[in-house]
Amino acid sequence: MKKPKDLNLDTLSLHAGSKPDSDFGARATPIYQTSSFIFPDSDTAAGIFNNEMAGHVYSRITNPTNAVLEERISSLEGGIGSISTASGQAALFLAITTILGKNSHIVASKSLYGGSHNLLEYTLPRFGIRTSFVDFRKPKLVKGAIQKNTGLLFGETLGNPGLDVMNIELISNIAHKNKLPLLVDSTFTTPYLMKPFDLGADLVFHSATKFLSGHGVVIGGLLVDSGKFDWSSNGLFKTLNEPYKGFHDMKFVDEFGPSAFINRARKEGARDFGACMSPHTAFLILQGLETLSLRMEKHISNTRQIVDFLSTHEEVKSVSYPELSDHPDYDLAKKILPRGSGAVFTFEIKGGYESGKKFIESLNIFSHLANVGDAKSLVIHPASTTHHRMDKAALRKAGVTENTVRLSVGIEDIDDLKEDLQEALKQANR
Amino acid sequence: MFYHPSSKKIKNTNPIIFVHGTGMDHTVWTLPVRHFLRKKKDVLAIDLPGHGNNKDKALSSIPNIADYIFTFLDKNSISNFSIVGHSMGSLIGLEMASKQPERVNALSMIGTAFPMQVNDALLDSAKNNSQIAIDILTFMGYSYSSRIGGNKNPGIWMTESTKRLMQKSGKGVIYKDLKACADFNDGLDKARRVQANVQLILGSNDYLTPKFKAKDLIQAFKNPVVEEIKGSGHSLMMEEPNKVLEYLKKLFKD
Ligand SMILES: Cc1ncc(COP(=O)(O)O)c(C=O)c1O
Repeated sequence: MKKPKDLNLDTLSLHAGSKPDSDFGARATPIYQTSSFIFPDSDTAAGIFNNEMAGHVYSRITNPTNAVLEERISSLEGGIGSISTASGQAALFLAITTILGKNSHIVASKSLYGGSHNLLEYTLPRFGIRTSFVDFRKPKLVKGAIQKNTGLLFGETLGNPGLDVMNIELISNIAHKNKLPLLVDSTFTTPYLMKPFDLGADLVFHSATKFLSGHGVVIGGLLVDSGKFDWSSNGLFKTLNEPYKGFHDMKFVDEFGPSAFINRARKEGARDFGACMSPHTAFLILQGLETLSLRMEKHISNTRQIVDFLSTHEEVKSVSYPELSDHPDYDLAKKILPRGSGAVFTFEIKGGYESGKKFIESLNIFSHLANVGDAKSLVIHPASTTHHRMDKAALRKAGVTENTVRLSVGIEDIDDLKEDLQEALKQANR
Repeated sequence: MFYHPSSKKIKNTNPIIFVHGTGMDHTVWTLPVRHFLRKKKDVLAIDLPGHGNNKDKALSSIPNIADYIFTFLDKNSISNFSIVGHSMGSLIGLEMASKQPERVNALSMIGTAFPMQVNDALLDSAKNNSQIAIDILTFMGYSYSSRIGGNKNPGIWMTESTKRLMQKSGKGVIYKDLKACADFNDGLDKARRVQANVQLILGSNDYLTPKFKAKDLIQAFKNPVVEEIKGSGHSLMMEEPNKVLEYLKKLFKD
């Protein structure tokens, strides 16, 4: 029998989760800018509070505009549900704290976004959650780092800053053999380039601040549940297997089966930690998602051309991008990222610290700021900004040198971008 | 038999028994179960053999499944009860209410039809729990509009959730379920024997058990109440949880 034709990504990114508004026929998703929702009567109120009816109570927990976004990202990722959060950081925090607490442990890739690293290395240990950072390119080290109290494996699809491509299949196999879930930060790839659930990941989160919105006007996060992990297989996950006093002794695996995790995350984490996304932000991210494919296509084609341009430029010492044959993950990227390895990469300019600085200050179209994934091209000099506290040795360990420059390639005209880079490279060592 | 964890007291009760459909388990009833518990009713949402947490071998005929449930009820001294069944579960309810009519107070058949025909090719691909069978059941199991989402239950993507539930069922279980539905016979005679209050909840956009295929059944019952949910497909508890609950409340008068 033939497989039924489900809707494709380009259609889902415009439609999933939204129904034309029944009151006025608005085609766009309305912004339900309200803190709370009226109950028609007390019994309905009690019913919604008791989770016996579907509905909204208070926008910290759910909101109809956010719900559209949550369904949309779930559909794009192939997940069963999601929660929108105040930021990517909040999504990571929510993922971790939904299943882990004091005396627990995470095995994370050593190549992480600085903010994630800060949370895991410095902040969570104050709450009894510790992390071992290992090289995810070395499966033996990953296996070896798993302890009795390990409850999660975590890494990025494209690690920071060297663009380590995570071998999700391999890492998820290690996780699953140990009855552990794998959480993946998919910010740099988006579902357009890769769907981590298809490769074995169990949970995905995004900084929706980046490519998903594309306009660089909001901060937001999305945590998506694949519904594939069997939480009852590991007694370590007490929050999902034991009655929760905070919600009428609810036992999440028994009442929700595959959606135990995402239900607990909402009923506890969204409710109690309170890092919710504003409905206006949800609306803006929906606006961005409508053009995800178009933008990503252009991001990638521009990136490829700029990588080419820089690789052969005489003022450039080296370029690091997984599609270049000297990148350590060249083969893996070819296999799991055939549509492209993202639009963020680093290169080393000839000269030293001063050359890097001068190059960036000479750029006109590329904006010098601390963000990635905007439709506009962005640039940063890690040694003088994101990594400025590090000495030379620490920089080297992080894969950054004094003259490393990070670009986030936007969707402007490619010739204009090249010209901007060409001029700035000329100035750099003058 | 595994049942919903909230169904704490079982013995000597007069419960509403919730019976799930093909490839599903008790979790499809979490919302109404929570409601009737709050209203202090006895509730029993079961996992049929081979489903969810019930490790008994799956059965492949509706009468056998009905007997299996009767045995469980007798063991727990449950003499009278009501049944809410979805799809295959609705046929199980019909079988039970016709076999021992005096024991059944009310019968709600949700997303139902008789005969419940099943395409041969679908049966074939279900033999190995092939993903294609799951994809087809999910695709046909939702209205076009629900496939695009707009879940009343915020943040949950319906079709993928349904697929995940079915993927959890053991090898051959979906096949046995579908076969049981296809082989179920004498439905109209059985309907005539039912003494319980009967309700049918049908979705106007149900592609698996289209509403016109429930016509004969409706005529065979004595005084059935037919509730139609406009726009809903076959997955009524997912697509229209609040309307389903509203109609169940009507049936159970609370
Ligand atoms: C890969 C990655 N993950 C997570 C985050 C954190 O997201 P947010 O800034 O939305 O909190 C960022 C932000 O820069 C990021 O680049």
